Amino acid sequence: MNLLDIRNLSIELVTGSEPILAVDRVSLTMKEGEVRGLVGESGSGKSLLAQAIIGVLDDKWKVHADRFHWRGQDLLRLTPEERKKVITKDVAMIFQEPMACLDPTTTIGSQLEEAIDEQLLSGNFWQRRKQRKKSIIRLLHKVGIKKHIECINSYPHQLTEALCQRIMIAIALAKKPLLLIADEPTAAMESTNQGQIFRLLSSLNQLKNMSILLISHDLENITHWTNTITVMYSGQFVEAGTTSQIFNQPYHPYTKALIDCSPKANIHLPTKSRLMTLPGSIPILQHLPIGCRLGPRCPRAQQECVQAPKVTNHHGHQVSCHFSLKGSK
Amino acid sequence: MLIFTLRRLNLFFFTMLLLTLLSFSLSFLFPGNALLNVSGQINASPEQILLLSESYKTESSIFAQYISYLKHILSGDLGISMSSQTPISVEIADLLPATIELSMVALLLAMAIGIPLGFIAAIKHNKPADNIILSIAMIGYSIPVFWLGLLAILIFSITLPWLPSAGQISLLFEIKHVTGIQLIDILLSDNAYKWQAFQNASAHIILPACVIAVAPGTIFIRLARSSMLEVLETSYIRAASAKGLTFNQIIFHHAIRNSLVKIIRHVGLQFANLITLAMITEVIFSWPGIGRWLIDSIYQRDYTAIQSGLLVLSCFIFIIHILTDFVYAALNPMARDNKHA
Ligand SMILES: Nc1ncnc2c1ncn2[C@@H]1O[C@H](COP(=O)(O)OP(=O)(O)OP(=O)(O)O)[C@@H](O)[C@H]1O
Ligand code: SF4
Ligand SMILES: [Mg+2]
Repeated sequence: MNLLDIRNLSIELVTGSEPILAVDRVSLTMKEGEVRGLVGESGSGKSLLAQAIIGVLDDKWKVHADRFHWRGQDLLRLTPEERKKVITKDVAMIFQEPMACLDPTTTIGSQLEEAIDEQLLSGNFWQRRKQRKKSIIRLLHKVGIKKHIECINSYPHQLTEALCQRIMIAIALAKKPLLLIADEPTAAMESTNQGQIFRLLSSLNQLKNMSILLISHDLENITHWTNTITVMYSGQFVEAGTTSQIFNQPYHPYTKALIDCSPKANIHLPTKSRLMTLPGSIPILQHLPIGCRLGPRCPRAQQECVQAPKVTNHHGHQVSCHFSLKGSK
Repeated sequence: MLIFTLRRLNLFFFTMLLLTLLSFSLSFLFPGNALLNVSGQINASPEQILLLSESYKTESSIFAQYISYLKHILSGDLGISMSSQTPISVEIADLLPATIELSMVALLLAMAIGIPLGFIAAIKHNKPADNIILSIAMIGYSIPVFWLGLLAILIFSITLPWLPSAGQISLLFEIKHVTGIQLIDILLSDNAYKWQAFQNASAHIILPACVIAVAPGTIFIRLARSSMLEVLETSYIRAASAKGLTFNQIIFHHAIRNSLVKIIRHVGLQFANLITLAMITEVIFSWPGIGRWLIDSIYQRDYTAIQSGLLVLSCFIFIIHILTDFVYAALNPMARDNKHA
């Protein structure tokens, strides 16, 4: 059974004149124990999608989906409040800017304590307090923070960005989630710290069978840690499949360009030769192309591309392109 | 925190320097003799004048004159009133506490009513409650204070004789002057009719305090609303909501505290505004405070009183400003650290 099954999720930005379709019919499934990468350039709507899943987008965004199942339960039948309750019980999220996601006027300790599930505690007031203290220290140790006393009594601005990220992970782990959504967990971090965070996440995945949705703008950076990958571009679904399918045999021109421009795939090239990239840059929300949004930058674009392509499935390898590389091979 | 305190002290010192300079120069800018303006001794004999000019060093350089003026102020000598010929320090010590009392009650009222209303408006953003509160704020802000004061007297003292319209307390009660803040003095006294006196004094203060509080209160509504809206958009609120906290938990544990931090910064500024309103209101309600006294002094061209009264009032406003800075630091850990102070 799928843990999470989302079909055609759209997110509209409701502003003055006419709504803007920031995320356009993206589908996503997560199996139990799976690590899925969600990849796309900056501004392709990855964070929006993640926030829509966990239900924390504010009123100016309107979310619509054809299907939204969580462990077989149809969440679309529930009111937004009920849905959020179900989702936040088992899904945790690490946001993109860890420092900005911690309340600047509250100590780390009490922010951690809030995340502890009250139902796991027992006894009277004092016993509960003690248990809570103990469990936050355990959580901090789990994410590799040894100086827990200093940490508990600090305010967010007194800590480094990397430390805040670990605390965000600790907060996320507090409720023992079945699914962890990690939005660029290693952005703005040195590579040693990056490795530690990825290893921590992957050990949690293996030991606790926790599924992870790993969001990144860097395809190459995460392929080592993921089982499956979904690629997005400018709010549209591009391609999804297992990591090896995506990395070794991309069907979509955009994925191919992403892989071709990563240094690892170009080891065999002579040094200093130009990396292959697509011309131009990702469109801004106010000027989205019609049809396939990659159109203006796509080397294979033709007349038909003004109609948005449909998703086709080749043995679990889904691609959304009129002229996918599948056909040419 | 030490550095924070030192900085505020430093600021206090330089502001005082500037304020005294300003008040010192006023004695030259006002028409008439500078020495008479600063001392208020209009009926002095030639010998006394000679003594005075000796003590204010009028023959020496302007700098020496300023220093001797500072010495006079620091020893508590603000000159004597031109009109009543009593020492101004005595008059101010008599009147300032009443103004402090009135303005503090008004400030608390404005904050206690304005801030929660602003929060409610922000939480019900774009719903009827928000629009109603905003319209009330708009109306309240645009009513002139003297008109509101007269209207309040007309309604609550004359048509409905609920509240007294003038004075600080009924003359029946005799309260010893300890702190000067009447409500505190009553509580401190061992009068048998303490509670009646307290009720009476409260009844006297309510109407003027409410009149003063209206305009600042509406500003607090808007400040609270916009800062709460700003806080509700932040990532940490979104993250708290993703943690699974309920809306009430988010509001009470995170949003209110962070919005208060933003609001407190403005309290000092609003207080200067509030004192101006208090001065006018004191005249309307015959409140024995320094505002009424200062306005009377202006009518009587009592330059010594104007000069010293302004100095004392601005000192008071500035002290409140610094106190709110400390409250701000207590609420905001970032301000306490030297790096960010
Ligand atoms: N609060 C907002 N108001 C208006 N537009 C927004 C807002 N947040 C995001 N957007 C727009 O929505 C689009 C998608 O944003 P999103 O943050 O999901 O991108 P992303 O894929 O996470 O990129 P990044 O790698 O930079 O995090 C962008 O074009 C962005 O400009
Ligand atoms: S649909 Fe057309 S424009 Fe879009 S990726 Fe495929 S070929 Fe390129
Ligand atoms: Mg993002």
